[in-house]
Amino acid sequence: MSALTPAPALDLLKGTLDLLMLKALSWGPAHGYSMARWIERLTADAFQIGEGSLYPALHRLEEREWIESEWRVSENNRRAKFYRLTSRGRQQLRAETANWTSFVEAMGKVLRTTEQPN
Amino acid sequence: MPEPGGWRRYLRFWQSNIREDVDDELRFHLDMHERDLRAAGRAHGVAREEAERRFGELQQVREACIAIDTRRRELVRRREVMGDMWQDLRFALRTLRKSPGFTLVAVICIGLGVGVTTTILSAVHGILIRPLPYPKAEELVAVYARWTHSGTIENGVNISYQDYLSWRNDNRTFATLGMYTWEALAFSGEGEPERVDAASITANLFPLLGVTPILGRNLLPEEEHQGKSSVVLLGYRLWKRRYGGDPSIVGRTVTVAGAPLQVIGVMPQGFAFPDRGEAWIPFVVEEHIESRGNRQFAGAIGRLKPGTTLEQGQRDLDVISKRLQQEFPRENLGWDAQAMTLREDLVGDLRRPLLIFLGGVGFLLLIVCANVANLMLTRGAGRQREIGVRVAIGAARGRLVRQLLTESLVLAGLGGVLGLGLAVVGIRLFGLAMPNGLPWYIPLRLDGATLAITLGLSALTGILFGLVPAFRNTDINLTGALREGTGGSGEGARRARLRSSLVVAEVALSLVLMIGAGLLLKSYRAYTHTNIGFDPKGVLTFRVSPPEAKYPHSEQRIVFFNQLMERLRALPGVEQAGGANGIPFSGWNVQAEMTVEGHPEHPQGEPLDVHYQAVIPGFFKTLGIPIVAGRDLSPLDRDTANRVGVINETLAKQEFPGEDPLGKRIKIGRLADKEPWVTVVGVVRDFRHYRLPQPMGPAIYYPYYQWASYTQTIVLKTSGLPANLLPGVVRVIKSIDPDLPTYQVQSLEQAVNRSLWRPRMQGQVIGLFAVLALVLASVGIYGVVSYAVAQRTRELGVRMALGASRGQVVGMVVRQGALLAVIGVGAGLAGAFALTRVLATLLFGVEVTDATVFVGIPVLLGVVAVAASWLPALRAARIDPLVAMRAE
Repeated sequence: MSALTPAPALDLLKGTLDLLMLKALSWGPAHGYSMARWIERLTADAFQIGEGSLYPALHRLEEREWIESEWRVSENNRRAKFYRLTSRGRQQLRAETANWTSFVEAMGKVLRTTEQPN
Repeated sequence: MPEPGGWRRYLRFWQSNIREDVDDELRFHLDMHERDLRAAGRAHGVAREEAERRFGELQQVREACIAIDTRRRELVRRREVMGDMWQDLRFALRTLRKSPGFTLVAVICIGLGVGVTTTILSAVHGILIRPLPYPKAEELVAVYARWTHSGTIENGVNISYQDYLSWRNDNRTFATLGMYTWEALAFSGEGEPERVDAASITANLFPLLGVTPILGRNLLPEEEHQGKSSVVLLGYRLWKRRYGGDPSIVGRTVTVAGAPLQVIGVMPQGFAFPDRGEAWIPFVVEEHIESRGNRQFAGAIGRLKPGTTLEQGQRDLDVISKRLQQEFPRENLGWDAQAMTLREDLVGDLRRPLLIFLGGVGFLLLIVCANVANLMLTRGAGRQREIGVRVAIGAARGRLVRQLLTESLVLAGLGGVLGLGLAVVGIRLFGLAMPNGLPWYIPLRLDGATLAITLGLSALTGILFGLVPAFRNTDINLTGALREGTGGSGEGARRARLRSSLVVAEVALSLVLMIGAGLLLKSYRAYTHTNIGFDPKGVLTFRVSPPEAKYPHSEQRIVFFNQLMERLRALPGVEQAGGANGIPFSGWNVQAEMTVEGHPEHPQGEPLDVHYQAVIPGFFKTLGIPIVAGRDLSPLDRDTANRVGVINETLAKQEFPGEDPLGKRIKIGRLADKEPWVTVVGVVRDFRHYRLPQPMGPAIYYPYYQWASYTQTIVLKTSGLPANLLPGVVRVIKSIDPDLPTYQVQSLEQAVNRSLWRPRMQGQVIGLFAVLALVLASVGIYGVVSYAVAQRTRELGVRMALGASRGQVVGMVVRQGALLAVIGVGAGLAGAFALTRVLATLLFGVEVTDATVFVGIPVLLGVVAVAASWLPALRAARIDPLVAMRAE
């Protein structure tokens, strides 16, 4: 973890993490470890967070009933807790994705602009 | 909603251990990561270290997860409990829907019980318990005169002004005493003239009661004196009705009894005094009321000093009365004061019937309870197998009890709703039973207290009848329950005995109620079949009072009534016409001590009290009362120097045994009094005048034209409907004096009928209880016998296969029902003999052990019992032996 990472980014990160996990589960049930690997692979470790933070986030999502969990046997024959999206979670994912996209577009537009504030 | 299962099943994770699960999950992550890192070539120790480093604050994550999961577990647990309740409720509704017959009967039973109980409790609460609507009403006392002589006591007699003054000034227990007397005042000017119930009151009366005008002021003591007394207080409704609620009414002058009176105030909404009075004028001390022996004023009302009891007040008044008897033996010998709580005075005579209703409703409620218990037990027995199966496959006992309890509570709730509806109707009917509706001081309504009682009752019945069978039904021997149907187990026999005793109890209780009702109804019949001695059919009655202000001289009143009668007789449809001060059953009760010329004077203290009144000739003819000797009064009897009168048979027999009363002379008062002598010119047949059962005593009737009082009740005979005469009557009176109201318009039949409201209501209420009891008891018998038939299907089948005829089977089943009825009737008769004695004072013309009732009612109940067992018996007879034996 780099000491240069600015602290305010963490707040942003929290909502982002939720969205990332909803997205990760949109392909089907998965356990936390595989989600951590998926995020690492896709973001090239851009967030640099402790992987452990995934778990409180997952449990919170479960509390909100956006995801549900089930103990199953994993690919290497161990008992693992699998999560999957509920229909409410799926709805949430759609809504958040739309929000995020429009946010990014708006931000991008602002940052790319050449117009100067008067 | 999809079946719970698959993923959702894990919502119920609260059976698992949260800590272990979190640890397992996190360890799995670290283990997997370590494995992958090693596979990627890290060294053994380094791989684990890197996994842990990448993971971050393990302990923090762990605690956070545990906290979230604990919170979520609580939430889920709460939801599950609610879900269970909802599930129990839906389950209960589903099972109840599956047996609509049982549900309907149970709900109706509970509803009837709750409805009738709430009605009677509301009445008892409203009439006997809730304080009268006055501040500190418990301190208020009504004071009357009491006549005690040689063993006879006459309570609640009117009082004299002088006695009132003595009581008021000499007592030490009352804060103050006030006095009132009844009036009826004619309001005229602006709009239709109308006659309203009113009272003249002493100035201290309303302050003593604690009522204050909403406009203006109360009366002042100086207004009790002549010359300053031209003021009137208005009741709220009169003010609204007649003066449109004019806010500036105070100070206005209105025409009352033909005289101008100044309005000094308006009393609050709802207040009336006494009874229905809605206008009040000062009680004015005139010369003629100064006599101590003149007991013509309605009564006194006092407020006891705080902390003083009624008994202390009574003793205080007794001391004063005793002194007065010594001081004024002529006026006061035999007279003392009678104090009673104001409530007792107003509603005391309703206490006994109400307590009897309360007892009756208690019986009814017991019958309802027995019936519902019976239904529940029968149903429980029927479901024993179902419950056995559920216990066998692992249903928790607590959960089962909760389900059965929910079912009972649902039944009780439905019954409670029905009962509430019935109570609303019942309370309204109760109000209608009283003539003129309920007086203002009995605000009979379904209030918070009775509502709480209703809900409590239905919940109690539910819990009682749910819990007992619920425990019994779940506490069952599994193998026995599963084998149920092979019949004859000890458990089944015990239940059957319990059910039979419940039915016997129901029959016994019903019989007591039915006998009570039989006696009361027979008593009411005796009232209505009493020979009242006159024919009330087709007679219209109404009162007219030419006011003193406008008709001060008797000649004027004679002219008025002469003209009135002439024009009334000329109306089409009028066959006979007459009048009297007070018609029969109107409550008119004026008596005086009288003396017969030539007879020894009655000894002091044993006076000859005679009912007397002035009648407009034609009165006896109109009512169809025959003259048995001499002549009727005539419109020509006008000479006040030669007064005449007609006496009734009782007076003739009592005072003139073996003598011809015609030509004899009688006068009011004693020989020395300066009252005029009246010559007897005729004897009229006795007729009932007072409310039954009070008999008519000696009476004398004077011709109106020699005793021209102010008020007369006119009676008109027609062959059509009495009400049809009314428009003509109103026209005639208007044509003579447009300011004169016609009031108390009713047919004589109505008046007679109305006076019987009490025995009628008693008969109706207990009669209704009895009918309900009979229906409930027959439902009980029907239920038990049907159940027994269902249980014995196999046995009956075998019997029929072995040659028993259908008739024999029917007989066997009916015998069972009849046996229950006979035992119940036996117990009920014993109870009835013991209990109906409390009815003795309410009965008229029937003994408490009336043979017809005590034989007829049990026979009726027996017939109904046999009929109730007949239906299941017919079903038993239709059993096909082959099918029956193959059953199970």
